[in-house]
Amino acid sequence: MKISVNWLKEYIPVTHTVEEMANKISLTGIESSPVELGTELTGLVVGHVTSVKPHPDSDHLKVCMVDVGEDEDIQIVCGAPNVAVDQYVIVATHGAHLPDGVRIKRGKLRGQESNGMICGLDEVGVPAKYMPEEFENGIYVFDEPQKPGTAVYDLLGLKDQMVDIDITPNRADTLGMRGAAWEIGATYDEKPSFKKPKLNTDKIKDLNDVDVEVEEKSLVPDYLLRELKDVKVGKSPLWMQRRLWNQGIRPVNSVIDAANYVMIEYGQPIQAYDLDKLAEKKLVIKKAHDGDKLKLADEDKVLNHNDLIVAAGEDILGVAGIVNGTVAQVDDNSKNILLEAGVFDGASVRKTAQRHDLRGDASNRFEKGVDNGIVSEALVRATQLVDETSAAKEISKEIVGNYTEAKPTVIEGSVSHINHLMGLELSTDEMVGILDRLGFTVKVDGDKITVTIPTRRWDMAIEADLVEEVNRIYGYENLPNTLPAGMETRGGYSQKREFSNKLRDVLLGEGMDEAINFSLLSKKEVDDFNVTSAEYTKLLHPMTEDHEYLRNSLIPGLVRNIAYNQARNNKDLSIFEQARIFARPKGQARPNEIEYLSGAISGNVMLDSWNTKAQKVDFYYLKGIVDEVLSFTNTDAKFEYEATDDYSNMHPGQTAKILANGQVVGLIGKLHPKYQKDHNVDETFVFELNIDALFELNKKSIKSQSAPKYPSVSRDLAILVKSDVENAQIISDIYENGGKYLNDVTIFDVYEGKNIKTNYKSLAYHLEFLNPNDTLTDEEVEKAFSLVKDSLVEKFNVEIR
Amino acid sequence: MSLDDKLKSLRENGIDEAKRAQRLQELNDLRVNLLGKKGPITKALRGMKDVPAEQRPEIGTLANNVKKDIQQAIEEKMTELNEKLVAHQLEEEKIDVTLPAAKQVQGTKHILNQTIEDIEQFFIGLGYEVAPGYEVEEDHYNFERLNIPKDHPARDMQDTFYLSDELLMRTQTSAQEGRDMEAHDFTKGPLKMISPGVVYRRDDDDATHSHQFHQIEGLVVDKNISMADLKGTLEALCRHVFGAQREIRFRPSYFPFTEPSVEVDVSCFNCDGKGCRICKYTGWIEVLGAGLTHPNVLKMSGIDPNEYSGMAFGLGPERFAMLKYGINDIRDFYLNDVRFLEQFKGVN
Ligand SMILES: [Zn+2]
Repeated sequence: MKISVNWLKEYIPVTHTVEEMANKISLTGIESSPVELGTELTGLVVGHVTSVKPHPDSDHLKVCMVDVGEDEDIQIVCGAPNVAVDQYVIVATHGAHLPDGVRIKRGKLRGQESNGMICGLDEVGVPAKYMPEEFENGIYVFDEPQKPGTAVYDLLGLKDQMVDIDITPNRADTLGMRGAAWEIGATYDEKPSFKKPKLNTDKIKDLNDVDVEVEEKSLVPDYLLRELKDVKVGKSPLWMQRRLWNQGIRPVNSVIDAANYVMIEYGQPIQAYDLDKLAEKKLVIKKAHDGDKLKLADEDKVLNHNDLIVAAGEDILGVAGIVNGTVAQVDDNSKNILLEAGVFDGASVRKTAQRHDLRGDASNRFEKGVDNGIVSEALVRATQLVDETSAAKEISKEIVGNYTEAKPTVIEGSVSHINHLMGLELSTDEMVGILDRLGFTVKVDGDKITVTIPTRRWDMAIEADLVEEVNRIYGYENLPNTLPAGMETRGGYSQKREFSNKLRDVLLGEGMDEAINFSLLSKKEVDDFNVTSAEYTKLLHPMTEDHEYLRNSLIPGLVRNIAYNQARNNKDLSIFEQARIFARPKGQARPNEIEYLSGAISGNVMLDSWNTKAQKVDFYYLKGIVDEVLSFTNTDAKFEYEATDDYSNMHPGQTAKILANGQVVGLIGKLHPKYQKDHNVDETFVFELNIDALFELNKKSIKSQSAPKYPSVSRDLAILVKSDVENAQIISDIYENGGKYLNDVTIFDVYEGKNIKTNYKSLAYHLEFLNPNDTLTDEEVEKAFSLVKDSLVEKFNVEIR
Repeated sequence: MSLDDKLKSLRENGIDEAKRAQRLQELNDLRVNLLGKKGPITKALRGMKDVPAEQRPEIGTLANNVKKDIQQAIEEKMTELNEKLVAHQLEEEKIDVTLPAAKQVQGTKHILNQTIEDIEQFFIGLGYEVAPGYEVEEDHYNFERLNIPKDHPARDMQDTFYLSDELLMRTQTSAQEGRDMEAHDFTKGPLKMISPGVVYRRDDDDATHSHQFHQIEGLVVDKNISMADLKGTLEALCRHVFGAQREIRFRPSYFPFTEPSVEVDVSCFNCDGKGCRICKYTGWIEVLGAGLTHPNVLKMSGIDPNEYSGMAFGLGPERFAMLKYGINDIRDFYLNDVRFLEQFKGVN
């Protein structure tokens, strides 16, 4: 809300610039920024139109003589349809500056001299949507005579200085000028003073023209009406209009303007009804029926049974606390008026306003809460303003639909505890002084204080609220900087986090860049890599189809990254991500969150350079990285790679499950060529490891061994074997038969093709024997080597070469 | 020719040949030819029998000296040739050191994780534990335990992805507060934790909004926690992240789960508070929200607010990284263009 300095001055003295005020208010209370209207405007004065003649060469232009307070009237050519003799208007004189850099210069219009411009409000800075409708397509005309030549800025509020306060939802007390005056006053140690509104007691009568019934008393704690009889609706005074349009409210007529003005002044929304338009002279506040319609100027809203309405007989006058329909709208011909001041349940207002897209000034205030201690006074004020401008013959007493006594909140606190929470040592007097500035009443009893909070500060409830009030007004800048002084604690990561960091560091060391992707995927993406076979987890109300399901694999995200990069000519990629996937067990609402480490490599892993040849990524390159990661898992578990064609988007001949002690902990392989094509990626290899599962295995008991002192003995073995026999089978058989001194087996050659029988391959292994306690003899080694060869011949029908 | 002359002439020729040799092999051959068992010196000494007995020792000494001299000449020449050889090899092996390296690549940690870990390390140093929490959370922990009941207007401020009436994608890492307070044994000392992680909001993705982003929540509960402690802690953090000269200021704010609540600004690291585009000419940059734990939040976790108090703060790694490195579009973090990722190699 924008707090006009001119208006504020009615309540407290203001001596600071709006910049200073905004800064100070921001630091002590509510985020604020300065607003200075019309700083660019110059040369705008009141003009009195003394004659209007048609332009000799134009149908729509007129040649006017205007008194601008100078010795002679000036001639101005004006195109506005509503210009007429004897009007008091805004004149931009020669050299005047208007908004958006427009400058007015003397000149000729179709041959006729023109020494300025007669302006519309929108031409001098009032937004068209906030200016009175009658001036929408023409010049602005003052209602009352003004002195020609006077500057127009103050008359029209064109150069108002304001502080725009951006309130947090708990400080709706400042959504009215009076509340804002309290807040700003406390900042500057100035107590505001307000005039109590008064009605002309002679006019107050016992009128019984209308009944009221509040059906939903719990949602409407206060509902008050006043009737004004025989009013003459007209225009509201200029001072009120200019304040309204500077608040972003369009002036309409003397009744509606007064209602809106009181809303800004008190923060209490006021509604007005034309009593004569009511089908039945009884207002009922109740829930709507499904399908009920509220007529608005440009559309009908279909209501439902949760919406609170104001009804009269069959007619729905409005949605309570939100908006009035057109049925009982006050217009220039209205005679008998009802003014309404109520308090409506915030949550109910919020939901209805949201449901029908009707949020506005009134609903905003009820949603956040209004002061139920001033409902009656605000209604008096609105009645007074209407009476002043529209001259009622009779005014009713307060008509009560529901009334709840407003009780001030009483908070008990302790000076020492409040000091303790702030980290300050204020004296009781200092603290009481600050609370007094806020308009709170304090009773002191030793260390104990009892603070009575006026109803306008309904956000205050507990001692912690006092801590905030005292601390902010005292000034946060005056707080010392300390650190918690309690018992020493040992900080750190969880063991699992340490574990996963360690594995991630391996990938960084292998030259892989870390990516971070979104957890929410499309349906297609969760279908693509549903490798855990768990149930999907879906959002109730997704925003887009792209982000509808919780991810069950990190691979789709990495593939998206590869595609994004390769489309930008970053062809050689090596990336990984460490994050959670979501796997929902059947019958369970909540998915398990499982930490995964996944990687993807595409393109060259060794670049073509002046001394090396390019090397493309292949299965074994990635497998080397995965092996290295697994070697850091600190486990005795046995890892195996098991060929698989289970995953439809992986290459069936180049994919393996990664097993730890027979349990699947991940996968590795090449993306299916079709999948690669669909996703616009080059040949790409991926892996995925379940960190949580690996962490469970992370229990190696390491007992240090000294390095062996005796030399090892090696044997090489070349065999010819059927192509479908896997390396892992051979290796495991060699280990089985190699005896206790067989220390290591590595494959060093694989060959298929020329000079080899079809469907056969040649494999060559390097066997290393070692006895840590003695030198091995040739016989011992030869004996073990023979057993290895015999077994291979027997089991796999190999040919020893 | 006398034996004496013969030996002298052999010496002369031998030394001369050694000096003229060009290759090591020639010298080896020379050694074998001249000094070997079948060589001319040995042969010449066979004529010793013709030498009178009294001259024999003299001739013997001469013969030995001749051998020694030739040997020395050969060795000198060998050393000379060897040195030449090494010099030649070094010349041969000379390379152009300005040619590019054989590339050794380390990967780059994502800038968000670098930022998060930098902050984690700061707090670990102050004795905080790191507890990441759940990304799928119960309404109970994400809202109700944070003093945000079902109809609270603050729920509008963070539009939520629900999975069911009770389950949601957490909108704030503060959701971890309730769980940590419940689990903590206060007889073992204060609760000091930070909770980093991913949070989700129903926001359209644009340059400044992302439906997924990161937060780090901090919480300390002990018997004597004050606003001054909060200010001191956050100023130390801001100095760690943004530079030793930084100051912070508190502005009153509102969060349902803290009272008092503050927004925290850090003095602009770009202009030192003089005012620039980054700080919107205010000299200050808003970096996080904080406050003292609301007594209701303590009570709901079974902690007596008369005995204990708490401080909490929540900060956004995206915002920190964007400010620190001048990143203008939050979407850059999630596109994973390697050119973007790799520019942050080793910054933290
Ligand atoms: Zn700056």
